[in-house]
Amino acid sequence: MNAIRAIREVFGFFFSLGRKTGKTRVFALLGLVPVILAVVVRVVLHGRTGDMAAVFTEILMVFFLQFYIVILALFYGTSVVAEEVEGRTLSYLITRPIAKPAIVLGKYAAYTLLMFLMVAVSLTLSFFIMNASRLADARPYLTFLSYLGVLGLGILAYTAFFTFLGTILKKAILVGLVFGFGWENIIQYFPGSTQRFSVVHYLKSLLPYRPTGGGGGGVALLLFRLEPTSPAIAVLMLAVVAGAFLALACWLFRMKEYLYEE
Amino acid sequence: MTAVIHASNLSKWYGNVLGLNDVTLDIASGITGLLGPNGAGKSTFMKLITGQMKPNIGQVTVRGRKSWNNPVLFRDIGFCPENDVFYEEMTGWEFVTGLLRFYGYSASEIKERAAKALDIVELTKDKDRLIRGYSRGMRQRVKFAQAIAHDPEIVILDEPLSGLDPLGKRKLIKLIKEFKSQGRTVLVSSHVLPEIEALTSEIVLVHQGKILAQGDIRFIRELIESHPHMISVRSSDPRALAARFVGDRSIQKMSFGADGRTFVVETHKRDDFFGCLTGAVLEGGIEVEEISSPDDNLQSVFEYLVGK
Amino acid sequence: MATIREKGYSHWDGQLAERRFPWWPITRVGIRLAFRKKAFKFVFAGAFMPSFFALVGLYISERLEDFKAIVRSNEALININPKYFKTIFTNDGLLFLIILVLSFAGAGLISDDLKHNSLQLYFSRPLGKKDYLLGKMSVVFFFVLILTAVPGLVLFIFKMIFAGSFKFFLEYPWLPLSILGWSAFLAVFFAFYVLLLSASSKNTRYATILVFATYIFSNVLFGILMSIFHKPVLALFSIPANLQQAGAFLYGQKLPFAFPAVWSFVVLAGICALSAAVLNRKTRSVEVIK
Repeated sequence: MNAIRAIREVFGFFFSLGRKTGKTRVFALLGLVPVILAVVVRVVLHGRTGDMAAVFTEILMVFFLQFYIVILALFYGTSVVAEEVEGRTLSYLITRPIAKPAIVLGKYAAYTLLMFLMVAVSLTLSFFIMNASRLADARPYLTFLSYLGVLGLGILAYTAFFTFLGTILKKAILVGLVFGFGWENIIQYFPGSTQRFSVVHYLKSLLPYRPTGGGGGGVALLLFRLEPTSPAIAVLMLAVVAGAFLALACWLFRMKEYLYEE
Repeated sequence: MTAVIHASNLSKWYGNVLGLNDVTLDIASGITGLLGPNGAGKSTFMKLITGQMKPNIGQVTVRGRKSWNNPVLFRDIGFCPENDVFYEEMTGWEFVTGLLRFYGYSASEIKERAAKALDIVELTKDKDRLIRGYSRGMRQRVKFAQAIAHDPEIVILDEPLSGLDPLGKRKLIKLIKEFKSQGRTVLVSSHVLPEIEALTSEIVLVHQGKILAQGDIRFIRELIESHPHMISVRSSDPRALAARFVGDRSIQKMSFGADGRTFVVETHKRDDFFGCLTGAVLEGGIEVEEISSPDDNLQSVFEYLVGK
Repeated sequence: MATIREKGYSHWDGQLAERRFPWWPITRVGIRLAFRKKAFKFVFAGAFMPSFFALVGLYISERLEDFKAIVRSNEALININPKYFKTIFTNDGLLFLIILVLSFAGAGLISDDLKHNSLQLYFSRPLGKKDYLLGKMSVVFFFVLILTAVPGLVLFIFKMIFAGSFKFFLEYPWLPLSILGWSAFLAVFFAFYVLLLSASSKNTRYATILVFATYIFSNVLFGILMSIFHKPVLALFSIPANLQQAGAFLYGQKLPFAFPAVWSFVVLAGICALSAAVLNRKTRSVEVIK
């Protein structure tokens, strides 16, 4: 069986398995939080269109960008390998006539799609609830697609990194937590180019929003101290991060042997 | 006979602990029993054969090809792991068909093979139940089904009878024996001696990472010259019968059973003893009810070798 | 054909081969042995302090104006009084680190037992449910108290030592009680909180995420709601905000949020009560299969 087919079969196996687990249901429910908030905000801020758009951009995107996709990627990314080792089901996979990297790539693809669907549903509902009065205008759709793209790229990059962590470390979750909620939050306050050593910097650089001259109450939360990179470079860097860490994960998984804890 | 599985100077460490100690071994087609206590190195050996672990020193090949990072090999190998673990959210059917997807079969062929495998292990009726709800025996059977669904030439079974009731064990033993008649190679491990005895007479004894003995159990027994054979004779007058052997130099030891009707001898020359016994019975007119060899089994062989 | 092999000792029988870097195993073992000594780990970590402070100095030099403003506006950092202690021991950074430590040390306390069906083993001994839970909680108590009560009391003592008098104690005799009270409250709350989430899943990785994510999510939710509605009472949604409100009360300081501290105590007590109910249900010696 060729590599592409193998990846496809692994993808199919884990996508259908992943959909059924209780944890996926919990994470999908978590994605309803911004939808509920959107409904509440719409009721409270009824008629104030500009305020609603600002609320979504400045506030709800914080939830998506700096919490939801990080948590999802952390859990599912580390699960790519760690789940099989902890559950001792790795034997079922590596004693099949498929290359080991195909297992990593297929499972990564399955979980990435699962996460993207959860995020997309949540984002779509909350965005269009917040922008319900502007649906005749084309601009919200473009903004929506930008947000979706940013979150999609974020999922790809973070999941690849956490997949790599899960391949190499036993306690990948903890290192992942420190990275996702420690490093990624703190690094934005560092001067100069240091910001560029984070995934969130490139994601924020792609947001279809820039701080106003006055600074005001604008996007202070999301773009605080951001020295943005150009969108082309940002996309390239995210692709490089995703590709590099996936390649490392595949190589490590192929070379490493995993012993079950007795 | 050409070796199907060949291990050469195979050694494996877990940190400072030696799991497998310079093992050189050939396994031919047919059923071979891998026998040893827990921690002897049986699972380690099987994991090395199935490419789940990499040897520290030496190599292991299956049909002349190394097993580490060689997925093509697994078209012909079916592995049933020891651990009682599954993708619990799946049904038996989903589990077997899901794993069959990795062999490149068409959808209809997957269904056909899965149905056949589940039928063999008698799980057709319960195939749509979640594995989480299966009994221990059913879980063991579905594990076996995934190992044979793709019709492998070589089947590696790590403690396959564990958790099965006596009827289940009998069925699985019969099934494994059918594989032999089909010309396949089966390597079965167990720490329960009667299970291995029921399956095969070709055994490999493992202890503390080393191969103690390999071959037919009876020949192995014969070769243990340092230990005399034990023969138990049950008769109407054991003491009278025993008296006739007191002067026989080939008898090493004699003892009497608590029931007062048996005497047990230990001798290096079993055939000579039987010859003399026949004579003694005829001359003395003593009725012999039963003659048996209590140590002519795997347990004794193993104990002798371990204690050697 | 059968072969008997000699049963020797468990040394390795193969031929010794030459290694490319024969000195490397010696180095590797030497380093590993050094790290086995507990004291060494502390000393080794401490040895990085000068470099760490140098790094901090570097950062400060880049953001000098910011720091001047922070020092000017935060007297709490230079005046040592109960407010100083409250600032140190209720700040977001410490609470975040505590949650991180507990994610590591506490998430598997019950989830591992559920995974391996160990509850039956525990309760087949002369051990009641209370003993089991108390034992598990004590693990959390240990880590939280080590990070709060111990440094708190040590700082209090060192303040007097550096000052060369008991003046600080005479001025604030109730402060050690505040330190202990706050630490104990934090320890009890986190024990209930961590065990609640540990008991929610047999998967320790998932439990770790739950412990951390629930804590962070509550704060994110508060931040979002606050940005929209600007009502301080929304801090009741946030676990760290409730803890800070309770901590300020126990240190006798100005409350960070404009609502009564008792509301925060009620919310936190509610979480503890929920945890008690869930733990009572989950820690059964017999597994019920539906």
